[in-house]
Amino acid sequence: MSTATSTPTGTGSEPGRKPAHKGSSTSKRGRVQQRWLPWAFLAPTIVGMGIFTLLPIVASIALAFFRWDIISAPTFVGFDNFAEVVQDPTVRVSFLNTIVFVVVAVALQLGLALGLAIMVQEKLPAWLRVFFRSAFFFPLILSAASVSIFMRYLFNEQFGVVNWLLSIVGIPAVPWLTTPGGSAAVVILVYVWQNFGFSFLLFIGGLASIPVETYEAASIDGATGWRKHWFVTLPLLSPTTLVASVMAIINALQVFDQPYVLTRGGPGDSTRTAVMVIFESAFQRLEFGQASAIGVILTLIIMAITAAQFRLSKRFVFYQ
Amino acid sequence: MPGTNGALRQFTRRTALTALGAGIVGATAASWPRLTGADIPGRGDNSLSIAIMGTAADAAARQKVIDAFAKVHPEIKVKVQAIQAVDWKDFFTKILTMVAAGTPPDVVYVATEGAQLFAEKLAHPLDEYLRRDADHMKEYFADVHPSLVEAFMYKGSLFQLPIDWNAANMYYNTASLRQAGLERPADNWTHTDFRSTLAAMKKANPKDFTPYYWTNRLFGGVVPWLYANDTSFLKETKSPGGEWLWDGFYANDPSRSLRSGGYQWLEPNADDPRVFESFDYLRGLVKDGLGVRPEEGGGSALIGLFASNRIGTTPAGGYWVQGLHEAGMTEDGFDVQFFPKWRTQRHQFGTAGYAIMKTAKDKDAAWEWVKFSSSLEAMQIVFPTPNTTPARRSMVNEQLYAGTGPRNWKVFYDTLDRFPTTGPIPAPPQQAAVETALMKNVSLAVSGDERQLKDALSSMQRDLELALRRQP
Repeated sequence: MSTATSTPTGTGSEPGRKPAHKGSSTSKRGRVQQRWLPWAFLAPTIVGMGIFTLLPIVASIALAFFRWDIISAPTFVGFDNFAEVVQDPTVRVSFLNTIVFVVVAVALQLGLALGLAIMVQEKLPAWLRVFFRSAFFFPLILSAASVSIFMRYLFNEQFGVVNWLLSIVGIPAVPWLTTPGGSAAVVILVYVWQNFGFSFLLFIGGLASIPVETYEAASIDGATGWRKHWFVTLPLLSPTTLVASVMAIINALQVFDQPYVLTRGGPGDSTRTAVMVIFESAFQRLEFGQASAIGVILTLIIMAITAAQFRLSKRFVFYQ
Repeated sequence: MPGTNGALRQFTRRTALTALGAGIVGATAASWPRLTGADIPGRGDNSLSIAIMGTAADAAARQKVIDAFAKVHPEIKVKVQAIQAVDWKDFFTKILTMVAAGTPPDVVYVATEGAQLFAEKLAHPLDEYLRRDADHMKEYFADVHPSLVEAFMYKGSLFQLPIDWNAANMYYNTASLRQAGLERPADNWTHTDFRSTLAAMKKANPKDFTPYYWTNRLFGGVVPWLYANDTSFLKETKSPGGEWLWDGFYANDPSRSLRSGGYQWLEPNADDPRVFESFDYLRGLVKDGLGVRPEEGGGSALIGLFASNRIGTTPAGGYWVQGLHEAGMTEDGFDVQFFPKWRTQRHQFGTAGYAIMKTAKDKDAAWEWVKFSSSLEAMQIVFPTPNTTPARRSMVNEQLYAGTGPRNWKVFYDTLDRFPTTGPIPAPPQQAAVETALMKNVSLAVSGDERQLKDALSSMQRDLELALRRQP
């Protein structure tokens, strides 16, 4: 499509010029426009991503091979940072914690989101559905740091509301934030509470896209209750489950705010996560090279897990 | 009229696009100072940029000092930048980020926690200025206890002048103490007296009452107990040097012989039997329900809880007084006593003062600010209420605590006079890593059985070795 040739008030309508010549000029310009205009529109995004995403990624990878404390000039150390990181017991524990956290938190997040989505979509009247969609999504828009500060008060051993409620039913005070088990439980609980709303919305969308006829056919075949969900809902929801699980796992691998504010990674290293160690290495110990090395390792792990998920999805995901 | 409509539509679209383009260019031009960081205090002009930890309100509160400074030095323009932070570690992180961004402030208000990090990497020594202005500075040093000054000595040079400070004394709720049938503890009360006091308080007060609340921090946590037991989690030594300062300003001070070129913490000491003994004592308090199991970095609600009579005792400094007053506590509702004695009655303190950055554009101007800030005039403007303990002895007086309490406010400065070996927060240049190594093991150490305590201290020793091995 050439807008130039179809415009009667085109700028090339000079007296004495042959129409053919004029048409050739405008179509050439049109071709040039066609070629470059998309790039012109894309340029701000490309430049933005280049400066704020690509460049930091490249710089971060390069930094992993240097020792740098911000203040002095960086020195090249080869793979020393990676070797030190691998040998550091705190880093190893934090990665292990992160894996355990991902397994438990993602399972809870997806299970809770799916269960509530089915309940809201099938059992509730339309007006209540709207309310719960907003209500379950609401925690996600809150700042994780603010939520964690608030939760810290709730779970305080001496003065927290949670222990006060437990005491009413005769349960003694639980040291939520000062024992390894209690801390891990609170971090997972707070994280899942704040994040399951997003998976919930995805599942709501997925459930709405399953044709009613499929359920009717299943009913005619004699399927009822849980069998209907097992043989119809779950298989047809599998593309949504794939997307929800990929996003949940990537997010959970990067967990930082909740453990940092709630427990500072303690007691001991019981709630220290991979991203916390990156933060501590860089901004507390001023070892930006080591922090980058940990970041590179974490990125590779995230990429590997995501690739494995998509590979497995060929066997477990059914598209209508 | 389709042609007219088309032309109008085209004109409107073009006008809109032109307006949009002009708007973008205009907005970019208008926000240019922000985009280039030229509105960052001290950048883009010659003013002296000063970073303090706090809020915009804290920066505004300094305006009176800036005005007073401007009268003395109209040629020096000053901008104060308040940086919000959870704690000093967080504040230093933000300063380092400013350094990395190429926008370091010229002067930074630094507490003991970061004094050696700044001295090692970022700050400019004050030695030459102090020698030059020795006559002027004599009045300041005569009013400030040498223990505070020594905390800012590093390898024989002085990097900051103490402006305010706080020791870990013991606050107690007078009503809870009376309820337990007890009088004010003696000045030389011991750790066993303290335990008995807690037990009596627990017995006499409601079930949800906590006799001893303590936090898991570098200041006021486990360290005061270690100091009282004549030990620490790091081996403390002192570097030589500093005679120029001590002979010049403290030649006649009774504690002159104790002074040095600065503290050094080069090795871990968590495997010292006395460290085990101190932790075991605290473990006993937790086990018997006399003290809380401390959360890492906790304590933000402490003032409110203490003011509502739910806590019997807690270690804190003079900075607490104004907070308790504002929380509604009357001047007779609380009081303060020295920290209990064990093998010694050495206290822990933290202090703070301005450090001139190596990168400061005009170090002479920065020194004028540091010098003015240490004057009686400036400090009286900055500390109108007892929200910290001023470094100047003459300012810690009845007038400062009138209407707020505590009745025994003299305890604050007497701590330094009565116990001249009282020492600063152990904070080597690797402070952040050291603090993490300590904090992460404290809760475990005091929460379980003896085996868990031993494991936690072994872990602390290993973590401290790693932390100290690293270059700051």
